Amino acid sequence: MAEKPKVAIYWLTACGGCDEAIVDLNEAILTVADAVDIVLWPVAMDFKYASIRKMKKGDIALTILHGAVRNSEQEEMAKLLREKSQLVLAFGACACFGGTPGLANFRSKEDIFNWVYQDAPTVVNPKRHRPQPEVSMNGDKLTLPEFFERVHPLNHVIDIDYYLPGCPPPPQLIANAVFAVLEGKLPPRGATLAPAKPLCDACPRNASKPEKIEIKEFKRIHQVEAKEDLCFLAQGVICLGPATRSGCGETCIRTNVPCRGCFGPVEGVDDVGAKFISALAPLIDSENEEEAKKIIDGIADLAGYCYRFSLPSVTWIPHCKEK
Amino acid sequence: MKNDSPKLICFSCKFGWGYLDTNIYKNQFKDVIPVTCSGTIDATHIMDAFKNGADGVLVLGCADKACHFQTGNDQTRKRILMLRNVLQAFGIDPLRLQFVFNGDPEGKQIPAVIEKTKQELKNLGPLRPAS
Repeated sequence: MAEKPKVAIYWLTACGGCDEAIVDLNEAILTVADAVDIVLWPVAMDFKYASIRKMKKGDIALTILHGAVRNSEQEEMAKLLREKSQLVLAFGACACFGGTPGLANFRSKEDIFNWVYQDAPTVVNPKRHRPQPEVSMNGDKLTLPEFFERVHPLNHVIDIDYYLPGCPPPPQLIANAVFAVLEGKLPPRGATLAPAKPLCDACPRNASKPEKIEIKEFKRIHQVEAKEDLCFLAQGVICLGPATRSGCGETCIRTNVPCRGCFGPVEGVDDVGAKFISALAPLIDSENEEEAKKIIDGIADLAGYCYRFSLPSVTWIPHCKEK
Repeated sequence: MKNDSPKLICFSCKFGWGYLDTNIYKNQFKDVIPVTCSGTIDATHIMDAFKNGADGVLVLGCADKACHFQTGNDQTRKRILMLRNVLQAFGIDPLRLQFVFNGDPEGKQIPAVIEKTKQELKNLGPLRPAS
């Protein structure tokens, strides 16, 4: 009997939701488990890194990597799995664009350390200790992974063959991706295994969108009783549908919550936040600078809305703290 | 830290600020990008300018109520106001993104406007520390 293809599933800066999503394949996971040999999946089974290191290049048919890269241990594991794998799938928003852990890029490493190890009200650290990558103690060298300056999406660290976005990716797209690998029916390398069009195209509320949306005041979803059959933007609630890739199954929309952008930008766009601003600005009903500014300033944390899942893909933020 | 030679990218509406087709302008201001209407400037164009090394971006558009395409300048102003909030969240002085909406069909004021903006950028210093 021919040897089954080997599959590795590994997490970096991740919450475990992506692992949960794989388990959510339900009975389909039994078919997958029959068809492949899982060689690494820390959240579900016990394996040793040493056995991965002993493998030859390309021994692993597919590695499903989820989570962003924040420290040197994650970088090392990502590179190791890249070396041993024929295909690497960046799985979930964190792996594809940095995800919510990437919001840390609004702050420098120094700011984060100052808060976590000094300034937070519950911290007592009179000697101002900070974690060090290397410390000598009684003649022994102790090491910790190095905390990087920034959070990185996976493609800043290793070459990626395919992307499957989402927070987490929906079971249907996961099943499609896994069976496409098993059956060898894959699109060209570098492709995102989800539709190319924006969410608005697939949105069940699309038909309810008025001819012209005119927003005089932005409201947060908890401040209104949102109508279940009307476009969120028409209700003055920020929805990232116009700039976000479809394929999620519109789960949030169907539970009366606007899109937050976990599927990342549509095909051909890098900076999803800027693209969303281009879509949102014309909906503001004001031709007067003062009034427009007041409406825009009424958005709590505009940058956080725009880059909730994709801040690390904006690589040029200089952390200069001018303002 | 002062920045003696700030990199300024200027998007200039051809209807409001002239076509910039004389050699003087072309030679003197290589970083002026003429556009058909300021309304065509996407937020991604502005962010791309910063990404590619600009210390500041200046948008020249038609005066209020004078846009050749009716509301192009209004749309861009709203984009700029939003982008300024985003820049601020990035820790960047929002004054690095400026706009002047005025009528100057021969573009004679462009050198002075650029100079004034560059002066402000000089005072702000470089956007990125020297590597």
